[in-house]
Amino acid sequence: MTTTTTAPQVRARLTDGVTGDLGRLLPEGICRTFRVMPYAVADGVVLVAAAEVDDPITRQVVEERIDRQVQLVRHTGNEISEAIDEVYPPSEGQVETADERRSRVQLARMLTNSGLVTNEQLQIAMIEYSRTGDPLGDILVAHEAITEDVLVAALSEMYQMQRVGLADFTPDLEVARRLPERLALRLQAIPVAATEDLVLLAAARPLDAEQVLDVEEALGSPFRQLLANRTELDQLIQKVHSEHYAEISTVSLMESQPEASAHIVFTGGQKASAVCLGIALLLCGIVWPMGTLVGLVALASLIYLLVSCYKLQLTFRALGAHLETEVTDEQVLALDERTLPMYTILVPLYKEAGIVRRLVRGINELDWPRTRLDVKLLCEEDDTETIDMIKSLNLPPHFHLVVVPDSQPKTKPKACNYGLQLATGTFCVIFDAEDRPDPDELKKAYLAFQHVAPNVACVQAKLNHFNQNQNLLTAWFANEYSMHFELVLPAMGSAGAPIPLGGTSNHFITSVLRELGAWDPFNVTEDADLGIRLHRQGYRTAMIDSTTLEEANSNVPNWIRQRSRWIKGYLQTWLVHMRSPGRLLRETGPRGFISFNLTMGSAFVLLMNPIFWGLSTLYVLTQAGFIQQMFPGFVFYAASTLLFVGNFTFVYLNVAGSLQRGEFGITRTALLSPLYWGLMSWAAWKGAIQLFTNPFYWEKTEHGLDGGEHE
Amino acid sequence: MTTTHEPAAPTSVVIEDAAASHIRESQERKESLVQWVHGRAGDITRRPWENLAVFAAFTGFYIWFGYWLVVKMHVVGFETLDRLNRALMIWHNDPAKLSALGFDYPPLATLLISPLAIFPAVTSSLIAVPIASAAFAGLTMMSLNTMMRRAQMVGPLRYAVLIALGLNPLFLLYAAGGARQFIWLAFVVVAMGALVAWYVTADVRYVMLAGLAFSVAALSGYASLLWFVLTAVMIGAILAKLGADGSEVEGTTIGFTVPTAYVIAIWTVFNLLLLSKPFYWITAASEAGGIDPGGSTGVELFQDTVDLVIYGAPIAIVVLPVLIFMGIARSNPMALWLGVLLGAAIVSPALSVALGLTDAPMQMRNALPILLLSVVGAIWAARSADTNNMIVSVALIVLLVASIPWTFQAMKTYRYQNLESNFAAAVSTRESQEGAQTLSGATVGTRDEQATADYITANITGRNTILTDNSKTYAVMLLTGKPDLFVDRVDKSDGPWKDIARDPGRYVNYMLMSTDGDDLLNQMYPDAAAGSDGRLLVIYRTDRYVLLGVPANFDPDDTAGQAASADGAGQ
Repeated sequence: MTTTTTAPQVRARLTDGVTGDLGRLLPEGICRTFRVMPYAVADGVVLVAAAEVDDPITRQVVEERIDRQVQLVRHTGNEISEAIDEVYPPSEGQVETADERRSRVQLARMLTNSGLVTNEQLQIAMIEYSRTGDPLGDILVAHEAITEDVLVAALSEMYQMQRVGLADFTPDLEVARRLPERLALRLQAIPVAATEDLVLLAAARPLDAEQVLDVEEALGSPFRQLLANRTELDQLIQKVHSEHYAEISTVSLMESQPEASAHIVFTGGQKASAVCLGIALLLCGIVWPMGTLVGLVALASLIYLLVSCYKLQLTFRALGAHLETEVTDEQVLALDERTLPMYTILVPLYKEAGIVRRLVRGINELDWPRTRLDVKLLCEEDDTETIDMIKSLNLPPHFHLVVVPDSQPKTKPKACNYGLQLATGTFCVIFDAEDRPDPDELKKAYLAFQHVAPNVACVQAKLNHFNQNQNLLTAWFANEYSMHFELVLPAMGSAGAPIPLGGTSNHFITSVLRELGAWDPFNVTEDADLGIRLHRQGYRTAMIDSTTLEEANSNVPNWIRQRSRWIKGYLQTWLVHMRSPGRLLRETGPRGFISFNLTMGSAFVLLMNPIFWGLSTLYVLTQAGFIQQMFPGFVFYAASTLLFVGNFTFVYLNVAGSLQRGEFGITRTALLSPLYWGLMSWAAWKGAIQLFTNPFYWEKTEHGLDGGEHE
Repeated sequence: MTTTHEPAAPTSVVIEDAAASHIRESQERKESLVQWVHGRAGDITRRPWENLAVFAAFTGFYIWFGYWLVVKMHVVGFETLDRLNRALMIWHNDPAKLSALGFDYPPLATLLISPLAIFPAVTSSLIAVPIASAAFAGLTMMSLNTMMRRAQMVGPLRYAVLIALGLNPLFLLYAAGGARQFIWLAFVVVAMGALVAWYVTADVRYVMLAGLAFSVAALSGYASLLWFVLTAVMIGAILAKLGADGSEVEGTTIGFTVPTAYVIAIWTVFNLLLLSKPFYWITAASEAGGIDPGGSTGVELFQDTVDLVIYGAPIAIVVLPVLIFMGIARSNPMALWLGVLLGAAIVSPALSVALGLTDAPMQMRNALPILLLSVVGAIWAARSADTNNMIVSVALIVLLVASIPWTFQAMKTYRYQNLESNFAAAVSTRESQEGAQTLSGATVGTRDEQATADYITANITGRNTILTDNSKTYAVMLLTGKPDLFVDRVDKSDGPWKDIARDPGRYVNYMLMSTDGDDLLNQMYPDAAAGSDGRLLVIYRTDRYVLLGVPANFDPDDTAGQAASADGAGQ
């Protein structure tokens, strides 16, 4: 801690020039925001020019950042501004104008004079302002120092504009829709009343001249602005356009790219092929029963072998190298927050009122300016409990409650599609309600997008579990995720293979995501499907070394439900993309085609496991001759290799994944993975059967079973 | 007017729930880890082309030299022919049988060379013999080169070390002669290289690589298990010394030991299921070659051990004390561990005799692991010598070069040996050793085998028409390149084979037996090899093998024929 003096007898002045690199003792943002500039050292004391030497906030901010004794020396604002411009040459659009500064100071005085904001709150907000340059009022609201209503009142006073309350407002839809939805969303404005020659427009902030022209052109008449609370305005826009959003979120992909939508499980061609294959097998089975069985066993063994070899190749590749897109802590620290774009976070929620508080805390802990966050809490209309919980928290406006109208299919991808239409971020990411992303995940993803090839449209963070020690099931789950996200996916990303995305923590360029048609609401693993679709369109996915911790399913029936949905979705995804194998091959290339089929083939392997385990057990117990006949020569070699080498290798890769993460405590549970595979096969059969009986049913996973506190 | 303001909003209050607590604890724990995880530690840059060049150069050299040694000089070990024949049966027997691996050798000693038998012409021409060891010798050299790079030894000195070691006559014989020792030694060296890398970088991934390499080594040569156990203890001890907590020590040790534990467990279960003897693989491990079991008293064993080190790997005399000194006096745990491993390599042959685990313990080839471990120890000594790295490297080269003539001379006369003296004779005289005797009295070369195989190939085409005890006639089978011609003990196991052997006329047209009394057919038809069994007609004969015709009307119960033959034998 340094001390500050304000002794008057100082000969050195700022106009004499700034000594050496002394000016850079304070970051540019701090200098401009607080109008300070270190310029000389006298008797070991750093002289800092300041416009307001008596301001306690200015003094404290300077003291905290200069690790030496400091003396504030009064100078004029102009002198300091000129010196700052010399040390930090201003870049266009990045420097606050005189008007903006006047407004900011006026707002700060208004709020402090009226006692609505403490010095401490103002200081935090000012420091954030110095980093981001975002409106001070918005920062104060985002940090819950003041409410949005207070800010709107203050702005109304400053700009001499009327306010309007929209909380219980029932809109005239015809009037409200006079402003096109995209423009309303972009400007955060909506017509609330109209006469023949004037429209009353509720707006979150006073519009600038260009925006005014856009609105006038759209409305075709003059209008008058009324200031409104951003949360209320957001709800009103949603209410006015909900039908449109609901329709788009359901049918957009189905209508624009019907061949990419899973709304039809089996196409006519696929049904015909399956029937022909079935008949051929039946005939072969009648004519050459043992030959047919041997052929099927050989085919299954071949698929096993190929799937296993592919996975082994990927994991061994990852064991020998660091394949994630490199983003260092230094790069994260050096990031200029003024350049950060708006980031949308989509959080689908269903009957998860209990974890909303924790979720909000988690999002607020992210290292990203809250004023540049656009958090969509996506709730289903019938989930009143979660909706009420969110409303009761009176969250600041960077949190948006989005209520998805009740309609079929009621799936997570449909909710995400709904939220995506409201998204204002340049980038967007999905988090589940119980997720705990690394605080710097957004910055790492953003930096990764700057470093990767231009065709990378998605950055996938790693997933793992925070409750891995809860029971054996959660430990197995953590072993599996460690292998998948530490080894398999980085290797796939590095090889440019189509990546089946994880359910959360995938970061997209929003415009590309929209262009792709977003998520398929009829696919129950919409994430995996999107990853493949993205690849087919020529885009790529990269991995980053940042982890989101989730709740591992700790209850077997609940786990089976979740896993059966995943496997059903994998089968759905395979069926969708293999509707035109030739086209898939052209779009992904041979390597991508093979990788896709081998990746999806893991679901097939899970289905086959119980059959082969049963045959092996039966043979050991009975030495039945017909089983021996089913495994002649080379088929037997392949099957034996898989049995003794393949199984072990997969067990060991689970160990390896956990060691790679430094989770030494769960390596022993990895040794029991074969029991876990049994559960996976159970779930696989459930999912496969459900593909025929109830293909679009979303097996909901219950969260909050980790025994932790969620309120 | 004063207003009050309450800044504490509900969402800004930090309440640590169970998950947050777990995350915090996990982060704190990871910060205290000894090893690098979740990232890549600083290490030498990868040089795949250099690795490939070293591998290709030494493999190519040993194949070339091995071709000359085996095909031209006829210095060939029958144990290699046996394994190659088993490999051939895996692919080309009728039916193809994985069980041809048998239990006499560690399974991977055969399985890893089985790709050489995919094309029978490769094995029957004997070019497969040098390849069977040369590739693993090349892998050994590649691992040593990487190890030396980690030890910061400069390029010219590294290559000098490799050449000096590669030209060591003992090393040369076993690298070029198809010996199985090089299979497991290569993987042990790979494992040790990984552990050196782990020690240098603290990257946990190297422990896993070492564990996998040891698992392959274990099923290629059971002797490696001793070093595996010592290494497992070392990993735990080093981690504990560096302050790792219990879970890190446990997890890392599990990561290292699991592969080897698994393969040994599986192999034990196989032994149990198929032989009803779970530990048969330990008690019946074949050490073919020598006939003199060596000394048996403590003094004799000590003397034999000293001889082994002095003549086979004299460099160990210098390296072992250096490692022990560095380990204890300079608190260098890696040096201490390498010293312990080297010490174990030196005493293990004598221990094997004392424990009755082998019938041929003091063979000169036992010096090979001592030699390799000494080189690894010297490399580590060079790394630990910091500024004196170059001096230690040069000393290593000098010692290796000096031991070449010394060991070469010893090979001519060393008491317990296999083909060492014949190798020395071939190198010295450039003359074929076909028909020469080894010091233990065996005849060198494959003339009889080749002649019998040529006869069969030229005259017999029917599959499963020649009954034979493949454990004695493997060399002939191999050289025909057609194991499907034979009804052997692998086809349907020993039981059905014996049924056929009792009444061969119903099943086969020929019998191939060796004149060796251990041949099961020879035991069942003791007079046949001499041509005295009236029921069996000698079709082709060499000193070592007899091909007999089995008539369709062969009568197993014709005691008169047997009696006549017995009478004949008695005359």
